[in-house]
Amino acid sequence: MTTSAPSTPAISFDGVTLAYGEKTIVRDFSLEVGRGEIVCVIGPSGCGKTTALRMAGGLVQPNAGAVRVLGEAVKSPRRDVAIVFQDYGKALLPWRTAAANVALSLEAAGVARAERRDRIEHLLAKVGLAGHGDKYPTEMSGGMQQRIQIARCLAQDPQVLLMDEPFGALDAMTRQGLQDEMLSIVAETGATVFFVTHDLEEAVYLGDRVIGLLPNPGRTGVDIAVDLPRPRDQLETREMPDFLHLRRELFDFIEKAEA
Amino acid sequence: MKPSRLLWLAASFGVAALFVMLWQFAADHKLVNPIFLPGPDRAWNALVRGFATGDLGVKLMATVERMFWGWLIASLIGIVLGAAIGASPRLRAYLGPMLEFLRPLPASATIPVAIALLGLSDGMVLAVIAFGAMWPVLLATMHGFSAVEPRLYEVGRALGLSRAAIIGKIALPSASPDILAGMRLGLTVALILSVVCEMIAGRDGLGNWILLAARSFRAPDLYAGVILLGLLGYVTAIGIGYVESRLLAWRARAR
Amino acid sequence: MTSGWWKGLVAPAALIAAAEIAMRVWGSASMSLAAPSDIAVALAKGLADGSVLHATGQTLAAAGAGLALGGLAGLAIGVLFGLVRTVDRLMEVTVEAIRPIPSVAILPLAMLMFGFGYSMEIAIVAFSCLWPIMIYTRSAMAGIEPRLMEVSRALGLSSWDRIVKIVLPAALPRILLAFRLAAAIALVVAVTVEIAINPLGLGYGILVAQQGLQPDLMLAYLAWIGIVGWAVNALMLVAQQRLFGRAAMAEAAQ
Repeated sequence: MTTSAPSTPAISFDGVTLAYGEKTIVRDFSLEVGRGEIVCVIGPSGCGKTTALRMAGGLVQPNAGAVRVLGEAVKSPRRDVAIVFQDYGKALLPWRTAAANVALSLEAAGVARAERRDRIEHLLAKVGLAGHGDKYPTEMSGGMQQRIQIARCLAQDPQVLLMDEPFGALDAMTRQGLQDEMLSIVAETGATVFFVTHDLEEAVYLGDRVIGLLPNPGRTGVDIAVDLPRPRDQLETREMPDFLHLRRELFDFIEKAEA
Repeated sequence: MKPSRLLWLAASFGVAALFVMLWQFAADHKLVNPIFLPGPDRAWNALVRGFATGDLGVKLMATVERMFWGWLIASLIGIVLGAAIGASPRLRAYLGPMLEFLRPLPASATIPVAIALLGLSDGMVLAVIAFGAMWPVLLATMHGFSAVEPRLYEVGRALGLSRAAIIGKIALPSASPDILAGMRLGLTVALILSVVCEMIAGRDGLGNWILLAARSFRAPDLYAGVILLGLLGYVTAIGIGYVESRLLAWRARAR
Repeated sequence: MTSGWWKGLVAPAALIAAAEIAMRVWGSASMSLAAPSDIAVALAKGLADGSVLHATGQTLAAAGAGLALGGLAGLAIGVLFGLVRTVDRLMEVTVEAIRPIPSVAILPLAMLMFGFGYSMEIAIVAFSCLWPIMIYTRSAMAGIEPRLMEVSRALGLSSWDRIVKIVLPAALPRILLAFRLAAAIALVVAVTVEIAINPLGLGYGILVAQQGLQPDLMLAYLAWIGIVGWAVNALMLVAQQRLFGRAAMAEAAQ
C-alpha cells in the first residue's frame, strides 16, 4: 500500500456519475474529505447520499469519475475502511454472540485465535458492552446491537468510518448517548468519518462540516463549516446561537431542495 | 418443567394407559377377531420373545443402519448440491423449475427402476433410500441459501472475507434452520423407504419381519414390529429435534 | 418475473436430448433403460388403449377416498383438540405415541384385516393423511380471531352452529392448505402401497412393467406418475387461489 502524504484527502469524489439504467443517481459529484474530519452528509430522499457512501466503501462502482480513499482508487472494500449500516438487525449474524460477531472482523483479518479474546473484550468495553459478550443480538436492545456493529467496525482499526444513518432507528436518548460515544472514540483514534443522516441537528452536532446534497440527480448543494467548540455537549452545544443558526440554514436548504 | 405441565403430562399418560386397558379388554373379550387384534399382553410377549430368542434385534439394527447411511449420504449430497444451486441465481433460474416439478414425485416409484438397474441387492436399497431422502434436503438447502439476508453478504464483502469464508461463516449458518428441517424430513423418508424396500426386495429387517408376520397370521409379532417401528420413528424425531435445538439455540433466545 | 420462463425448460430439454443420444448409441439392448422417444411412444400407447388411464383412475380413487376419510377424521379431531384444550392435553401422549408410526408399518396390518384391494389402500392413505390435517386444523383453531368467537357467543349460536358457521369458514384457508399438502401425501402413499404389495393402480403398473422387462413402459409409468403428481398439486393451487384470492393465500402461508 502506498503511503499517502498527510495532505491527501481521506476520501475524494472527482466528477463521479452513477446511473442505474435510465435513472441517474449522482451526476458529476465532487467532494473532498480531509484526514480526521467528521463530515456529515444530509439531503432529501433521492439525493444519493447513501450511494456516495457505498461508493466510498467499494460496494458499488461509479460509471464515470473517480472515487479515492487515502489517495487510492476504490475498486473493492478495503480493510481500513469500516462501514456501519443502519439496519443493524440485518447486519449482525444472529447465530453468533456479540463477542463472536466482533470476532468475525478479526477472523477476516487473520488474527490468531489466542489474540482475539483480549481484543474483543477491549472493544466491547470501549463501546460500553463489557460483560455482554455472551448474549445473542436478538437478546439485546437496538442501541446495544448498533454498538456491537460499531465494535465490529473498530476491530478493523479503520482509518475511515462510513456510517449510513447509524442511529436513525433508535430512540432519542439512545441516539444521543451513541453520538457522544462515537465522538469520543473518533477523537481517540483520529479516524475520518463520513456520516450520512436525515437528522439535521445530529449533522450539526457531530460534524466539522455539513454537506447538503440536492436530488435528481445527486450533486453538492451546500458545504457548511461547523465551527462549534469541541468537545461537544448535548445540552450546551445545542443551545449555542451558532448551532441554532446553522440548523436554520440547513432547514432552509432542505425545504428548498425538497420543493 | 412447570408443575402444571408435569401434571398434565401425567394425566395424559393416564389417558394413554386407559386406552391400553381398553385394548386389553377388547382383546380378552374377543370383541374384535383376535387374528386382527391380539391383546397388548400378547404383543408385548412377542416383542420380548423376539429380542430374547429371535433375531428381532438384528432386524431392527438392519433397518436402522440402512436408514441411517442412506440418510447421511443423501444429506451430504443434498446439502452440497443445494448450496451450489441455491447460492447462484443463475442455476436457480435454470434448474429450479425442473427440481420443483420433481418434488411431488413419490420416491417409492423409483424402486422398480432401481431394481431394473441394480437388481434386488443391498446396493439398490441404499441407492433408493439415498435418492429419495436427498430431495427434501436438496430443496430445503436450496431455499435456505437463496434466502440469505443480502446485507450479510455486504458485511462479508466489507470485512474482506474470502469467498469460502462467506459461504462457511455466513451463508451456511444462515441456511442451517432450513437445512435441518430438510434433513428431518429426509430422515422420515429414509425410514419409510427402508421399510418399503425391505418388503419388496426381501431384505432382512423390520419391514420384512412385519410382512412375514402378516402373511403367517402371526398378529402378536406383527404388532410387536409396528410398535418397534413407531418407537424408531419417535426416537429419530427426538434425536434430530435435540440436534436442532442445540444448533439453533440462538433462535430460541429472541427477546 | 415471467420473462425468462423458458430458462426452466433448458435443463430438462438438454437432459432428455442427452438421454436420447446416449440410449441410441449405447443402450439398444438394455433391459433396464429406454430412450425418451421410446418412453413417449409407450406412454402414448398406454394412454390410447386406456390401460394407463384405468390405472390412474384406480390410484386417484384410492388416494381420494383415503384423503377424504383421513381428512374428515383429522378435521374433526383437529377441531376438537383445537377448541377444547383439556382434551388436547389429555390426549397428548396417546397422539404422540401413534403419530410417529410410519404409514408403511400399517401396511401389513391393513393387508391382514382387509386383504388386497381398495379397502386396505384407502385405510393406509387415510392413516397417513389424518395426522397432518389434524395438526394443521388444530393450529388453525388457535389462529381464529377471538372477536369472532365472542360474536358467536353473543348471537347465542349452538356449538354445532358455531363450528359450522364461524369456526370452519374462518379456518378454511389454512385447512385447505393442509388438504393440499395431504393430497400430495395421499398420492405418494397410494403409489407406495401399490408398488409394495397392492395389485392395482399406477404403482402396480410400473412394477409389472419392470418385472416384464419393459423398460420403456416402466419409465413411461414413472413419468406419468410425476405428471399426475404435479397436475394434482397444480389443480389444488388453482382451486385455492380461485376460492380465496391472494389475500387468503398470504394469510394461510403465515
